[in-house]
Amino acid sequence: MTRTLSRLATGLTPLVILVAAWQAASSAGLFPPQVLVPPVEVANTLAELVSNGELARHLGQSLVRLAAGFSIGAAAGLLFGAAIALSRWTEALFAPLFLALRQVPVLAFLPLLVLFLGIEETLKIVIVAVAAFFPVALATFDGVRGVPRGWFEVARLYRTPLVPFLARILLPATLPPVLTGLRIALTRAWLVLVAAELLAADSGLGQMMEMGRQLFRIDVVLAGVIVSGLVGFALDRGAKQIERRATRWRTA
Amino acid sequence: MTRLLKNSLVRFSLGLAAPVALLLLWSAQAEPEGARSLAFASLDAIAAALVQLAASGQLLRDALVSLSRAVTGLVFGGVLGMAVGIAMASSPLVDRLAGPLYHSIRQVPLLGWLPLIGLWLGNGDDARLLIVSLAAFYPTVLNTYEGFAHVEKRYLEVGRLYDFSPAQRFRHILWPAALPLVLTGIAQALAFAWIGTIGTEILLGSGSGLGVTMATAQAQQRVDIIIVAICASGLLGFFVNHVLVLLRRQILRWQGAHQ
Amino acid sequence: MTVQPHIAPARPPATQPERGALTIRNLSKSFQIDGAPFQVLRDINLEIRPGEFVSIVGASGCGKSTLLRLIVGLDTDYDGEIHLDGQRVTTTSLDRGLVFQDHRLFPWMTLEENVGLALLNTDIPKHRRAGVVAEHIALVNLTGFEKAYPHQLSGGMAQRAAIARALAASPKLLLLDEPLGALDALTRIHVQTELQRIWMQQRSTMLMVTHDVEEAVYLSDRILIMAPNPGRIRRIVEVDLPHPRERGSAQLHRLRDEILAELTGAPVTRSLIPFPAKETHS
Repeated sequence: MTRTLSRLATGLTPLVILVAAWQAASSAGLFPPQVLVPPVEVANTLAELVSNGELARHLGQSLVRLAAGFSIGAAAGLLFGAAIALSRWTEALFAPLFLALRQVPVLAFLPLLVLFLGIEETLKIVIVAVAAFFPVALATFDGVRGVPRGWFEVARLYRTPLVPFLARILLPATLPPVLTGLRIALTRAWLVLVAAELLAADSGLGQMMEMGRQLFRIDVVLAGVIVSGLVGFALDRGAKQIERRATRWRTA
Repeated sequence: MTRLLKNSLVRFSLGLAAPVALLLLWSAQAEPEGARSLAFASLDAIAAALVQLAASGQLLRDALVSLSRAVTGLVFGGVLGMAVGIAMASSPLVDRLAGPLYHSIRQVPLLGWLPLIGLWLGNGDDARLLIVSLAAFYPTVLNTYEGFAHVEKRYLEVGRLYDFSPAQRFRHILWPAALPLVLTGIAQALAFAWIGTIGTEILLGSGSGLGVTMATAQAQQRVDIIIVAICASGLLGFFVNHVLVLLRRQILRWQGAHQ
Repeated sequence: MTVQPHIAPARPPATQPERGALTIRNLSKSFQIDGAPFQVLRDINLEIRPGEFVSIVGASGCGKSTLLRLIVGLDTDYDGEIHLDGQRVTTTSLDRGLVFQDHRLFPWMTLEENVGLALLNTDIPKHRRAGVVAEHIALVNLTGFEKAYPHQLSGGMAQRAAIARALAASPKLLLLDEPLGALDALTRIHVQTELQRIWMQQRSTMLMVTHDVEEAVYLSDRILIMAPNPGRIRRIVEVDLPHPRERGSAQLHRLRDEILAELTGAPVTRSLIPFPAKETHS
């Protein structure tokens, strides 16, 4: 227990020093108010945003979009990845197109999708889904392909029926790379969502920051940066924890 | 039946099936009676746009500008990233100080920095370059750190046997041993730099660049131009990545088959 | 049967500096395992004469590798004295070379670059280095493979390359830590022959750790038999057979059987006259 505490302490120290330096620089008036605002003010703004429900609204919207888009994209990715991994014909049909589309950075699809879908919710959810789709599909493909041929043979030898085979052999075997792919996809999805909200939204964390920028409210912008960072951290950490627990049987 | 698939001609034709189907579907939608002809441009329109953009030199200009942005950001972010990664791997003190800082900054989604950097540096090239460099910075630090931190001790012992100075140790042992991971980091950094370039161009649409063209075309509802730009960015990304793969194979030719 | 090894009487001071005379007195080393000290080596005393080939055999865990690491200077935490040609051993030096069981050629360098790096910190002038490298590559019969990368070399070739690298620095004492342990039986025999040839040509002082008794008997002038827990020298056997040795000779085999029997704890038949090997015990 004390070890984690001390590690936490050493981890937080540089951040504390940074914030202190920030406070000092601001108070000394080293930077004009458009460039830097004291951390105290940012904290106040954050508190304000929390109390008047603004933050909850924006953050909530963002997270809802993330959840919706990610579920769709990840599910599609899992199915697609498994399909092209299990069937050589499907692979021959769809893999080339998949790999070609993958070369395009997801954000490049944004203007196109705006023209198709406008700037409503659908746009955000679709682009998040697309962002999540590719890494998950790839990871699933790797995972399923990576299952040693021998395991299939052993299952056949023991005449394992389909459901137990899937649940107790295929699933645990493919879980580690798939979970890693899901984690990467989640980070990617969060990145793309914030970008999309910057461009075309009327609510959401990204939009909140963009508004702040347009109104020269750097405290709002900084508050948004901090919150988005915390969300990113929470998502990444949470995903890592799930990954770790689900793959406990794996030797390092 | 599966033996058919071994034939490369069969595979090639199959691979074309999906894109062709896609194109056909697209064309159907773009027909005047099609459901959403407004949003879809016909294939000839796209072809025409391609010719026009190429002929006017805009396509080339955009491609070069975007590419140079990505590469510049890659160089800045990459070099800094390598320096930080090496420092963190060599000194536990630096690791403990810089590590948490790096990990917290990394959590903020890349383009989330845009409003802040926009306030600081305006809408111009500086802001874009900073974000692209940041995009390249993250994976470089991570991979460089991994590479240098995990140099096998047994090789370092050989260095001790032959009285290697720290400079010799770096040049003959640390650097070559870490290189595979460093190169992986550079490849990832390039991918992220490309995302950052296109992303910032779309969001801060001014000047030249594939992303800028996309954003402008979106405002003008020119789907055909957008499609051309998307294809161009995909091709360019693929091409540059391929160059890196070839470079890697040459630099790491000592690795042999098991890699 | 634990017998105290015999220490050669002190020599009169030589007029020429001896190359590769190793003296170890009262060497002991302990590790800390879970807070409790574990003695790996106890009271090691030995002397190696210049130009000798000495082998150390013994069961796993008797500290053979640790002993080598202490002598070469990779490990500096010990009690006792280690002297090479009268000078105290404190850290690594080009005076003492080591060939590992895993060849440890740098994968990112060609064969000649690998051998060349041994010369980086020697006094040999730069323009002569290529020649020295070529010489040593020829010594181990790897001419023609200068530009090959380690992954392209077979196990036996890589190990010969490692030997070339170690010898290129002209160490006074060459240590070999189970150098042929990772090779298959046929390759091992081949490289043993090479090693004997190289040693006869150069007459460097060599100290080799091996678990292969036959190898030890084939190559060495003297064999140190070590016992474990704690590691100590049990017996020193002199092998007084002429070089080059014949593998098939009966004396070789008899000596090997004897030493093996001792190592595996089988009773030693007293009726066997251990000829021509001389036992040294006080």
